[in-house]
Amino acid sequence: MQREELLLQIQEIFRDVLDDEEIVLEPATTADDVEGWDSLTHIQLIVAIEKHFKIKFTSKEILSWKNVGELVDCLASKLA
Amino acid sequence: MGFNSLPFLLFFVAVFTLYWFPLREKTKAQNVLILLASWFFYGYASLKMLPLLIGATVAYYGLGIWIRNCRSEKQASWISALGVVLGVGLLLYFKYFNFFIESFASLFGVMGLQTNWRTFDIILPLGLSFVTFKLISYCVEIRRGKIEPETDFIAFAAYVAFFPCLLSGPIDRPQFLGQLHKTRAFDYDTAAEGIRQFLWGLAKKVLIADRCVYVIDPVWENIGEASGSSLLMAALLYTFQMYTDFSGYSDMAIGTGKLLGFRVTRNFNYPFFSTNVAEYWRRWHMSLTSWLTDYVFMPLNVRFRDWGKMGMILAIIINMVLVGLWHGANWTFGVFGLYHGLLFVPLILSGAFAKRHKLKDGWMGLPKLSDLGGMILTFLLVTIGLVIFRAESVGQAWQFLSGMAHLETLKGFWLFFLHPDFRTKTILIVALMAIEWWNRSVEFPLVPMKDYHWTARYAIYLGLACLLIMLWGKNLTFLYIDF
Repeated sequence: MQREELLLQIQEIFRDVLDDEEIVLEPATTADDVEGWDSLTHIQLIVAIEKHFKIKFTSKEILSWKNVGELVDCLASKLA
Repeated sequence: MGFNSLPFLLFFVAVFTLYWFPLREKTKAQNVLILLASWFFYGYASLKMLPLLIGATVAYYGLGIWIRNCRSEKQASWISALGVVLGVGLLLYFKYFNFFIESFASLFGVMGLQTNWRTFDIILPLGLSFVTFKLISYCVEIRRGKIEPETDFIAFAAYVAFFPCLLSGPIDRPQFLGQLHKTRAFDYDTAAEGIRQFLWGLAKKVLIADRCVYVIDPVWENIGEASGSSLLMAALLYTFQMYTDFSGYSDMAIGTGKLLGFRVTRNFNYPFFSTNVAEYWRRWHMSLTSWLTDYVFMPLNVRFRDWGKMGMILAIIINMVLVGLWHGANWTFGVFGLYHGLLFVPLILSGAFAKRHKLKDGWMGLPKLSDLGGMILTFLLVTIGLVIFRAESVGQAWQFLSGMAHLETLKGFWLFFLHPDFRTKTILIVALMAIEWWNRSVEFPLVPMKDYHWTARYAIYLGLACLLIMLWGKNLTFLYIDF
């Protein structure tokens, strides 16, 4: 799957979990840019992404992403 | 030398003058000055412990570079784990060693076994709890790839020992190091804001915190004989004392940082306007709670993520017990943490935990009634927690709380307000809450002053100065110096 496609799907998950249809994700987006994306909702987002793509991240991966781009890279490497 | 003392004022004037005049825009020389001033500041408070501070700084400087130079991922994990263990080990040794010995000895005693274990003469080095947290996060952040190890020892040591935050925080993250590498140009507005924040912190400390002590301490010394209403009054005042003392200290630390051109992390965000306990912990001692959120709660929450809400409850309870125990080795701190952890359970189950509540102005700009109800309930729950926190033992906390819990308590409570001294305190506290409410969108309530006409500005300074001179009591140390 293309990165752009993954990003769109993740964006859909974000909109769903954070209940905000206006969220637009870019690779450089960080938690500071999205209202409601904090340490608590982060876990809900991860669980939703893992379920959607039927994969499992490691703790270290989850705690080391600096932005959405790194999340997408990590996800792409799992799906490859 | 506390921020509210003359020696600190002289010390700071000397540092400030050197920093901005001969050393202006010489970043490296300014860093050397900050480091020497910080070590002097620490040595002045506790010379014996200065070698420990310097030793720990050198050790972690080396560890950081070692983590980066590791050949394998596995080795890097081990070295960063060593950094964490070393930090936790320092805390365990200095804060909890005697507690473990006493607890085991009494446990064996209960089992009928005599032990002749003795406790050791261990003195808690000042600021240790704050410094070790900085050092631990330095290792973890390098390991997580969020920062590069620092190669400039002076800058690193100045970050670790940065005197405004050395003894009681706020706990700045290693990202603060970036500020030590930038050229710091003197900015009049920032410096003026620093002075205002320092003044605001001093006013909270002197006008409220230090005046509450004389009411609270005698009640705690005689819990058995105090009436329910005195206990209630002492408990309520202690919550305000703790807040004005610690947030006052924090404002003074942050203000001092601004005077040197630094942005220190925020520690309080008007916690009494929280409508539930989860919100309260996002606004109270924020540099500690965000630290524990990042390094304890989040990793646990990630690990327990498939257990749904139960996983989150477990993670928050462990996290809150650690928040409690961080304050020291006493069962009361553990119970305090557990109590707060349990207060999160209904919030997690109902989903209120993750929601951010925006406060809106109600009638005449006052809080809306529904919000006010939440604020008062949260305040009372926090007050109960602080009784446990303040007590010397769990038994004493129980005695205090049960002494407070009867109907007679409220009957006698209003009599306090007949006393002029209580009226002054009440007026000051109500004024503080009102000023905070109307300025809750800015870092501290004096921020808007920069846009006032100069006559209004100086009228405020003069008013505050008069109040401080009239009500200044003994110079009391800050509560969080003990932790």
